[in-house]
Amino acid sequence: METEQYLLSGIIFFVVSALSALVPAKKIRTTAYFLSLLGSLSFLFLGFNLITAAPASFPVLAVSSYFEFALRGDALSGFFVITISLITFAISIYSIGFTRDMARAGFLGFFYNILILSLYAVVLSENLFTFLIAWETMAIASYLLVTIERTEKASRAGLFYAVMTHIGTAFIIVLFFLLYRATGKMDFEGMKAGIAAMPADIKSVVFVFALIGFGTKAGLIPLHTWIPRAYPVAPPQVAALMSGLMVKMGIYGIIRICMDVMGQGPEWWGITVIAVGAVSALLGILYAIIENELKLFLAYSSVENIGIILLGVGASMMFKSSGLYALSSVALAAALFHVLNHALFKGALFLGSGSIIRGAGTGNMERMGGLLKRMPYTGLFFLAGALSICALPPFNGFVSEWLTYQSLLLGYQSPSITAKIVSPLGGAALALTGAIAAAGFVKAFGISFLGMPRTAEAKDAREGSPSMLIGMGLLAVPCLLFGLFPGLALSWLLPAVFALTGAFPALESHGVLVIGQTSAALSPAALLITMIFMAVAVLLAIRIMGGKRKTVYADSWDCGIRGLTPRMQYTATAFTKPLRIIYKRIYLPSRDLKVRYVLKPFFVKSIQYGGEITPFFERYLYEPVTGFINVVAGKVRLLQSGSLQLYLGYILITLIVLLIFGT
Amino acid sequence: MKNWIEAFSVIDFISIGILLTAVTLNAFKSIESYVKAYTINSWLLAGLIAVVAVLVGETHLYIAALLTLATKGILIPLFLRRIVRRMRVTHEIQPYISNSLSLAISGILVAVVYASLKDGIFVTGFSRNALQISIAVILISLFIMITRKKALTLVIGLLFMENGLFLAGFSLTFGMPTMIELGMLFDMLMGVIILGIFAVQIKRAFASADLDQLTVLKG
Repeated sequence: METEQYLLSGIIFFVVSALSALVPAKKIRTTAYFLSLLGSLSFLFLGFNLITAAPASFPVLAVSSYFEFALRGDALSGFFVITISLITFAISIYSIGFTRDMARAGFLGFFYNILILSLYAVVLSENLFTFLIAWETMAIASYLLVTIERTEKASRAGLFYAVMTHIGTAFIIVLFFLLYRATGKMDFEGMKAGIAAMPADIKSVVFVFALIGFGTKAGLIPLHTWIPRAYPVAPPQVAALMSGLMVKMGIYGIIRICMDVMGQGPEWWGITVIAVGAVSALLGILYAIIENELKLFLAYSSVENIGIILLGVGASMMFKSSGLYALSSVALAAALFHVLNHALFKGALFLGSGSIIRGAGTGNMERMGGLLKRMPYTGLFFLAGALSICALPPFNGFVSEWLTYQSLLLGYQSPSITAKIVSPLGGAALALTGAIAAAGFVKAFGISFLGMPRTAEAKDAREGSPSMLIGMGLLAVPCLLFGLFPGLALSWLLPAVFALTGAFPALESHGVLVIGQTSAALSPAALLITMIFMAVAVLLAIRIMGGKRKTVYADSWDCGIRGLTPRMQYTATAFTKPLRIIYKRIYLPSRDLKVRYVLKPFFVKSIQYGGEITPFFERYLYEPVTGFINVVAGKVRLLQSGSLQLYLGYILITLIVLLIFGT
Repeated sequence: MKNWIEAFSVIDFISIGILLTAVTLNAFKSIESYVKAYTINSWLLAGLIAVVAVLVGETHLYIAALLTLATKGILIPLFLRRIVRRMRVTHEIQPYISNSLSLAISGILVAVVYASLKDGIFVTGFSRNALQISIAVILISLFIMITRKKALTLVIGLLFMENGLFLAGFSLTFGMPTMIELGMLFDMLMGVIILGIFAVQIKRAFASADLDQLTVLKG
C-alpha cells in the first residue's frame, strides 16, 4: 500500500513541477524545482521499500490485453530508483540557482522533469511496451534538452544523437520481438519464466542485439560518438543527468535482459562484455586526456567509466556461466556500486564544470587558471569528484574499483582457461585506465584551478550561488561518505545482486569489507587512519631528519625575465604531450608547425603550432557507412523527380499490376 | 416499382452512365466541361443510391442519396465553378498526350479491369457490373490526373476517383452506415475547399497553376 502511494505522489510531484515550469513567471518556475525535490524524495522512499519488500506490480493503464502500461519494481529497479533519486535531488537543488537567469528556462524545466520521470519509468517498466515508451520518452526529452541552445553546433549534435539513439532503439525493438516470439510473453517476468523454450543461438542473437542497442545508449566504444557531441552543448545539469543516469539505463538494460530475463548464457557473452568494457575504458580515457574542453573531457571520461562498469558486469556474467556464483556476485556488486558512484562524482564534476564555465566565461581549460582562489567551494567539490573518479582512497571510486579488481583477479579460480586468461587482462586494462585517469584529472584540476588566471574573465570569476554549491556538495559529500562506509550503499544493492546471482558478495562486518572465501579484505576507515598517520609520520620524519630550516618568502625564479606571466605556465596541451607521443599509434596525430623567420635560422618571428588527432572510429567506421548510404540515397533519388504526375503514375502502374497479377 | 427496376436493368444502366461520364473526360478540352461531367456523374451516383434504396427499402439509403445529391451534385460543383471563375484560367486543359490516345488508353484500362475481375470475386452486393465499373472509374480518373497539367483537373480527377470509391464500397455493402457516409462527404467537401484554395494560392504565387512548375520545389 505504502509503496504505491510513494509512487503516485512521486509521479504527481514531477508532473506538477513540469507543468508549473511552463508558467511564464520566474518565481513559480524556480519553486517548480522544489516540487521536483519532493518527487525525488518520494521515489527515494519507494526505492527503499522496493529493496526490502518482495517485488511489487503497479498496473497503471491497460490499453489492450497486449499493450498494458504497467510498472513493476524489484530489487534491481529499487537500487536504480534510489540512485536516480539521490542524484536528481542534488541536481534539482543546483538547478534552482543555475536556471535563474537562463534563456528558455521554462522549456528546460519542463523537459528536465519529463526526463527524470522517464528514467524512473524505464527502470520500473513491467513489460516491453512500457519499457519502449519510457525509453523513447527519455530519448526525445534528452534530445530536446541537448538542443536547448539554438546554435548550429547544438542542433547538429542533437541530430547526431537522435540518429544514434534510434539505431539503438531499433536493435532493442528487434530483440524484444525475438524474446516475445520465443516466450509468447510481453512482460519481463513472463519472459523469464518461459526463456527455457528459447533456442541457444537465438539467445546469443538477443545478447548481441542487447549489447549493441543498450550499448549505444550507454556509449560503448565504438558506439560512443554521440557522447562527445551531445554533452558539451547540453546545459550542465542536463549533462549531469545524462552522464550520471541516462547512460546507466543502457547498463540497466543489459543487466535486465542478459542477466535477469535470460538468466545466464555461454561464457563468451561475459568475455565479449569484458573486452568491450576494457576497450571502452582504455580508449575512453585516452581520448579524454587530450581534450582541453572541460565538458568534452568529462564526456570521454563517462565513456571510460561505462567501460569500468561493464568490466564488472562482464566478469559477473562470465563467472555466472561457469557456476562461480560467489565471484559473480562480487563482480556484479562492484559494477552496480560503480553505477551509483559514477553517477555521484560525474554529477558533481558536470555541475562543477557548469559553475566554472559560468564563472570563467569559457569551457576551455587553456583560458582558465587560478580558479581555486576565486571559487573555493566549487574547487573543493570538483576536487572531491576528481579524487573519487581517479579511484583514490578514501573516496567511493576506490571501493568500487577495488571490488572490480578483486573480482577480475580472482578469475584464476575459474575452471575455464579462457576466463583465467581474460580476467587478469581485464584487470590490467583497468589498472592502466586508472593511471591515465589520474593524470587526466591532475590536468583538469591543475590547469583550471591552480596557477595564475590566463584571461581577464578567469581573473574575475565568481563563485556560484548558494543553491548551486549545495547541489554540488550533496553529490560530493556522499563520495567521501560511501568511500568511508561502503556498507551503507552496498546494503542497497545486495538484494539485487542476490536476486541476479544467487549469492551474497562482500559482507561488511565492523567496517571491513571481506570477500567471501578469500583473504581479500578492505577497511576504508582503517585505510584513512593509516593515511593520516603516514602523512604525519612523513612530516615528522622530514622535520627530524632535516633539522632546523629557515623559511624565506620570495618570488619564484623567473629566468631573469622579471615578472612571471600566465603565459609561462604549463599548458593543458603541453601536459598531455608525453601521452600523445607514447600512444601515437592510437591517436594517429597530425601536426602542423609553421615557423616564420626574420632571419633564418636564428631569428624567429612567429611560430604557429597546430596538432590534431585522427578521429579513428569516425573515419574508419562511420564515414564508410554514411558514404555508402549517401551513394544509395543518391541512386534512389532518381525516383524522386518532384513531378506530381509521375508519383500518381507510380500508383496507377502499381494498381494495374496488382489487378492483373493479384486476382 | 421494384419489378420495373429489375426488368429494365436500371442499376446497370446508371452504372454505365457513371463510367461513360468518366470516359468523356478524355475528350473534353475545357475545365467547365470537366465540372459539368462531374455534376452529371454525381447525380447519376445519387440516382443509383436512390434506386437501390427503393429496392432494399431502407431509410438511411434515402438520406445518403439526398446528401450525395446536395454535396456532390450541387455544393461542390458550385464551388468549383466559382474557383474556375476566380482563377480566370485559360479554359485549355493542356494534356500531356493527345485526346485520342488518352481515350484509347482509357479503353484499355476498362478492358484490363473487366478481364481481371471477370469472375466477380465478390458475390455479395446488388450488381455484378458495379464493382468492375467502379474500379474502372478509379483507374480512369487516376489516369486523367496523371496526364493533365492544371491543378484544377487534378482536383476533379480526385473527385471522380472518390465517386468511384464510393460506388465500389456501395456495390459491396448495400450502403455503409450513415455515420461513415456523412464523414466521407464532409471530408470530401473540406478537401475540395482546401484544394481549391491551394490552387488559387499556387496560381497567385507562381502566376501559373501548372503542376510541372512544382518540380522547382524539390529539395
